[in-house]
Amino acid sequence: MTDVPEIRLVVIDPSGLHARPAARFVQAASRFDCRIAIRHDGREADAKSLIAILGLTLRPSSEISLVADGPDADAALAALRTELTPYVGSPS
Amino acid sequence: MSLVLISHSRMLVDGLAEMVAQIAGDEVYVATAGGTEDGRLGTSAPRIEVALREALASGSDGTLVLLDLGSAALSLELALEALDPAERARVRVSEAPLVEGAVLATVQASVGASLDDVASAAAGAATLAKLPRD
Repeated sequence: MTDVPEIRLVVIDPSGLHARPAARFVQAASRFDCRIAIRHDGREADAKSLIAILGLTLRPSSEISLVADGPDADAALAALRTELTPYVGSPS
Repeated sequence: MSLVLISHSRMLVDGLAEMVAQIAGDEVYVATAGGTEDGRLGTSAPRIEVALREALASGSDGTLVLLDLGSAALSLELALEALDPAERARVRVSEAPLVEGAVLATVQASVGASLDDVASAAAGAATLAKLPRD
């Protein structure tokens, strides 16, 4: 994916991105048609798959980026940023 | 899409059903069959058959079954034999670990995934990383 919208975030929740917020995130991502991925530490997970996201084992201070590719990519990233609000901050 | 959770322990599947509802929401129908008919630890083909029928009657196009150990599989086979072939064709049995498989399956079912995709998500539970790779 080149030249697609991307936002960079850092996990701030003391429990990391645990099962419940990850599940909410998958449900939110699945409402969009575009392809959405979470990247972390050289790995990439399908944002519409809980097992893929849990497999990233995101912890406090984990840096992630969300990338989306498709007609509704900008709307998807905005919605997912909102969905993650309590759990992430901006990278320093 | 619905789920059937089978365990030797009623408390275990009741707790698991509560947990998946909290994680994935309550849009996915989850039927449980835990313990024997007289409340002991064990599995019961008639109780499993009731759970399968409840799940199939919930209006879903298919149901994924997750189970724990040993005789759960034998009791499940007996319960499946009691269904007619058309009903059996809508049932998929997962090899996934019960807890992780149930959570992954319910979340994917909650976003409208097909039985194949839900079964595939549950199957991935067997190799899911729990600790970060250092």
